[in-house]
Amino acid sequence: MPWYRIDLHNHSCLSPCAEDDLTPFLLAIQAKEKGIDILALTDHNSGRNLPAFGEACAISGVVPIFGIEVTTIEEVHILVLFEELNQALAFGLWVEEHLPPYSNNPKLFGHQLIYDEEGNQTEDLTKMLALATMLSFEEVVFKALEEGALAIPAHIDRGSNSVLSNLGFLPELPYSAVEVVRPNKNFEELGYPVFTGSDAHRFEEVGTRGCDIELSECSAQALIAALSDRRSLVQIRRG
Amino acid sequence: MTVKDLTHISALTAHHIADGEQPIKDIYCGDLLSDVMANALEESALCTIQGHKNTVAVASLLGLSVIILCNNRIPPADMVEAAASEEISIFSSSLNHYKTALELTPLL
Repeated sequence: MPWYRIDLHNHSCLSPCAEDDLTPFLLAIQAKEKGIDILALTDHNSGRNLPAFGEACAISGVVPIFGIEVTTIEEVHILVLFEELNQALAFGLWVEEHLPPYSNNPKLFGHQLIYDEEGNQTEDLTKMLALATMLSFEEVVFKALEEGALAIPAHIDRGSNSVLSNLGFLPELPYSAVEVVRPNKNFEELGYPVFTGSDAHRFEEVGTRGCDIELSECSAQALIAALSDRRSLVQIRRG
Repeated sequence: MTVKDLTHISALTAHHIADGEQPIKDIYCGDLLSDVMANALEESALCTIQGHKNTVAVASLLGLSVIILCNNRIPPADMVEAAASEEISIFSSSLNHYKTALELTPLL
């Protein structure tokens, strides 16, 4: 089977901590430039830039994966990745509903810029996304899996907002994969596919930490099927 | 101080008492369980907001005497079940970590 380069963890200007210039369009164009075949947008606790991202990927010739990086009540980050835009949008609204009702202060936390499919900036979202939802880690994992999405604990070896830092160890749940910053053999022994992602918040970070995966074809469906089927041996190597 | 002495502190509510006679010799405040694992001493009371069954596993691993969930956080059912199975006591507190620890300190 052929190998494809994937990068499943990226932010756009909707994430308050990301650069305002990193629009969904710039993300997709730069990822293509960097040789990424399958690209996910995973803004914090919202999917509102996913329609623009889908359009940007269609123009750039990159396969889109529609994601959200959810902050659980334990302040753990989980990537939830969908093949279908509409499912991701519905999941994103469900996540937003579980955020505390605070307004963002752009001066302190940064802007939360939404772009439409034509590339126009339409809104600076008022609802504050930089907070933890009231959803538990398990609740997010199971809801994502029930809906046919991939549920992937993010940067599990990071010192903050990771399952290992906040919950001490990885609860035994049917994750689709785990994302790590520094891959090593210990993570491979966890029994889940292990991959790296750019977690790009700035233009320069796009496409810098992707990895390669063996798939039957270059499609979101093939990627999700490969990772969802626990019986399959998914080969992933650092890019 | 023992676990049963906590029942006399009005800010605390018992959710599971495994052994009322279990001594409490220290207090540790922290929400990141990786930090708790690295630093909390055996037979401590752990003041935390981390209402997750992994907190019970960490308490069991370290031999902590009791978990106190601060700021009115209520333990989810699977956490109470885990506590019963691992014989770890769980309380909740209407106070924050600091004020909960202040209430316990004179009894140490």
